[in-house]
Amino acid sequence: MIEGREWPIAVRSVEVSVPVAPITDVTGYPRTRVFVRQTGTLVGSVDIWNGGGPISATRLRQAIAGGLAWPLMRRALEGQLGERHEANPNAGARTSGEAAMRPMSVSVVIATCNRPDDLRRCLSSLRALRPSIPLELVVVDNRPAGGATPAVVREFGDVRFIEEPRPGLSYARNAGFMAASGDIAIAIDDDVTVPQGWLERLVAPFSRREVMCVTGNVLPVALDTEAQCRFEAYGGLGKGFEPIEAGPDWFRAWRTAVPTWRLGATANAAFRRSIFFDPRIGLLDEALGAGMPTGCSEDTYLFYRILKAGYTIVYDPAAWVWHRHRVEQRSLRHQIFSYSKGHVAYQLTTLAREGDRRALVRLLYSLPRVYAARTWERLRGRSEYPLPLIATEVLGTLAGPLALWRARRRVRRLGPSLRTQPHAVSVESPVTETSGS
Amino acid sequence: MKLISAELSRPLPAIPPCSIGEQWVLVRLHGEPLGFVTPPAAGASPSRLSALILDRLSFPIVRHLVGDGMAATGTLTDLARIPRECPHEPRPALRVTVAVCTRNRATHLRTCLDAIQAVEYPRELLECLVVDNAPEDDTTRNVVSRYPGVRYACEPRPGLDRARNRAIVESTGAIIAFTDDDARVDPLWVRAVAAAFEEEPHAMCVTGLVVPGELDTPAQLLFERYGGFSRGVNRFVFLADRQEPVGNRYAGAGRFGTGANMAFRRAFFDAHGLFDPALDVGTPTNGGGDLEMFFRVLKEGHALVYEPSAIVGHLHRREYRELRSQIENNGIGFYSYIVRSARAYPRERAALARFGAAWWWRWNARRLLRSLAGRESIPRDLIFAECVGSFKGLWRYGTSRRRLAGEGES
Repeated sequence: MIEGREWPIAVRSVEVSVPVAPITDVTGYPRTRVFVRQTGTLVGSVDIWNGGGPISATRLRQAIAGGLAWPLMRRALEGQLGERHEANPNAGARTSGEAAMRPMSVSVVIATCNRPDDLRRCLSSLRALRPSIPLELVVVDNRPAGGATPAVVREFGDVRFIEEPRPGLSYARNAGFMAASGDIAIAIDDDVTVPQGWLERLVAPFSRREVMCVTGNVLPVALDTEAQCRFEAYGGLGKGFEPIEAGPDWFRAWRTAVPTWRLGATANAAFRRSIFFDPRIGLLDEALGAGMPTGCSEDTYLFYRILKAGYTIVYDPAAWVWHRHRVEQRSLRHQIFSYSKGHVAYQLTTLAREGDRRALVRLLYSLPRVYAARTWERLRGRSEYPLPLIATEVLGTLAGPLALWRARRRVRRLGPSLRTQPHAVSVESPVTETSGS
Repeated sequence: MKLISAELSRPLPAIPPCSIGEQWVLVRLHGEPLGFVTPPAAGASPSRLSALILDRLSFPIVRHLVGDGMAATGTLTDLARIPRECPHEPRPALRVTVAVCTRNRATHLRTCLDAIQAVEYPRELLECLVVDNAPEDDTTRNVVSRYPGVRYACEPRPGLDRARNRAIVESTGAIIAFTDDDARVDPLWVRAVAAAFEEEPHAMCVTGLVVPGELDTPAQLLFERYGGFSRGVNRFVFLADRQEPVGNRYAGAGRFGTGANMAFRRAFFDAHGLFDPALDVGTPTNGGGDLEMFFRVLKEGHALVYEPSAIVGHLHRREYRELRSQIENNGIGFYSYIVRSARAYPRERAALARFGAAWWWRWNARRLLRSLAGRESIPRDLIFAECVGSFKGLWRYGTSRRRLAGEGES
């Protein structure tokens, strides 16, 4: 394979149900990442080393066919087999019964901290949607002292605006969830933009009553700087192009800790708002998440409780958003440190709060084994993963318990999120009637 | 035995038994080569051949069909029924000159011109030109006169690159496609070359797949094993990154293709000069003119496309002795090209020197060591010949230059 500089990478998306057009505006980029859509849903991505030149339609077609022949073929076959299935009159009865549901209203909750440009882009993309369902926008200012957010919100008119001065992403999102009035509350980050059709795809699985949460893919909108490319190469925020459905069986099937971190993130996640008033589930844990010493994992813990309560989480990669990775990132090592720390804090939380002993297996067996295996592979020259990064992960793991203790202490000082209970949700939702059983 | 070509959108042929050498089947779909299969020497029926093909080449078939189907999603049954025509058939629009440079090889030339006559391309857009290089008699002229529509030009001074330059001067096409007199072009060759130029407007050079024309003698099989000319069935677009020396990644110009199957836009020669007359067959360097031009295309910031659908069958040397001298000449030609490019582009010198040394170690020295350890199937004298040739190549370009200067040409 001919390779060039690792970055910058141009990011483009291509729809393959119509004849593909050449990509001509990638001058200066040694490489182009093409996200491939087929009738609106996402199939996968291919990288083309274009060396700063344009990409002809033939080359684009060949690269896509070469990289994604199987998924494209599978989808084509699924479409046909599905059509045949739909044609069967007996099959129709079940689906129509399932689909009978009350129209939903949706609130999008955006927590922001003094990033007016990101927020403006985000709100513009939401305003550009042509939603088929009622849509409410809620912006939570997590750093009111910054002062830049209210002006942006005013530009967009009909947006609910609230302030949560207590620092912490979980505090901010919780405040937004409580202020929202929709049946479904969608959490997105302020640095994402949404494509057409996103909303409909993200809420579609809620037609099934046991689904309490739907997450979607998070794709990079630009990979122009080294920081952005490194972040994406380390895993980014996306969780792949294959749908995942996690229910109570999935939750129980794991002998080591449940990998809820594979199910998505609150950068793009929709929740049935009734779960926040369910005593077994509740709101995001304030001690976890960005803005706290733990750094992350508030979403994975919420997913954990949803699954434990017997509900289902659907990861639908077709409901993707575009995320603008930070142009200037604090070093990758810092980020990896933070992830490892948050991960341990999450494991300890499930152990302490939920009594899930699988966390111990993860902490005392799986994680050390992963680190040892990675080191061994590296020393034998079979992997590219640098040793300093492995050391960073180990250090982050060791720092986890202390971080969790400090975060808990801070939350005790700041107090819990307010839990107001608007009548519209708790009484009328068809979900709460059946969900307990 | 000739190389057999099997086109999947047509009924498969039966493979006859083969008495000498080996037989390979080049499998193609809508003209695109998918790969080779080697049926047993006893031959194969069409159904046996199709089983072999599906065994080896399912994925390339699926990949091609998915590429075709991207515009119109086919149904399951349609996928199994391969359409006779490719939906992406390009319309020929460019005027192409096919240039054959030859020297005293009338028998080879006849086969070569027969193949060119069979090319499927609008006649009004096709020109065929034979350049006779320093002929000793009139045989070539007489052969050419028997082919209507083929032009004859004579380049009296010896040197393949001089003959190529004569072809460029004499030609009228926007594209000049070169092939050798010992090559047999595929009927779709010109169409594939022209399509690649149309699809990649920034490409200045298109090379293609060179398959063995026959595999009858041990020497011919050995040449394929030694490395051959085949560069795979995947299309590549090479374009150098402007921010680093081109030689860092693209000095190994042999992988882009070979002079038996290369085409350029005339505009490139207008802007960046003709072939270097001090290089290639007929001069002390014995080769490297094609490689130097590939490197020049990339160095000047243009794209080079390797288009496997543009297929040329090449008649490898039949005798072992000829093979050995060709392999020595490969070594000489390659290092002559390295020296020439280092002289022409001072900023590439370090990169080219690094590559030249690394290549000598990787390709020559390591093979030689393996051979000494008895773990190499290629005859040692071939490897040794290329090792020696590589050293000769380091000063042959200088010799060639001085000789040109002596003849009063720079």
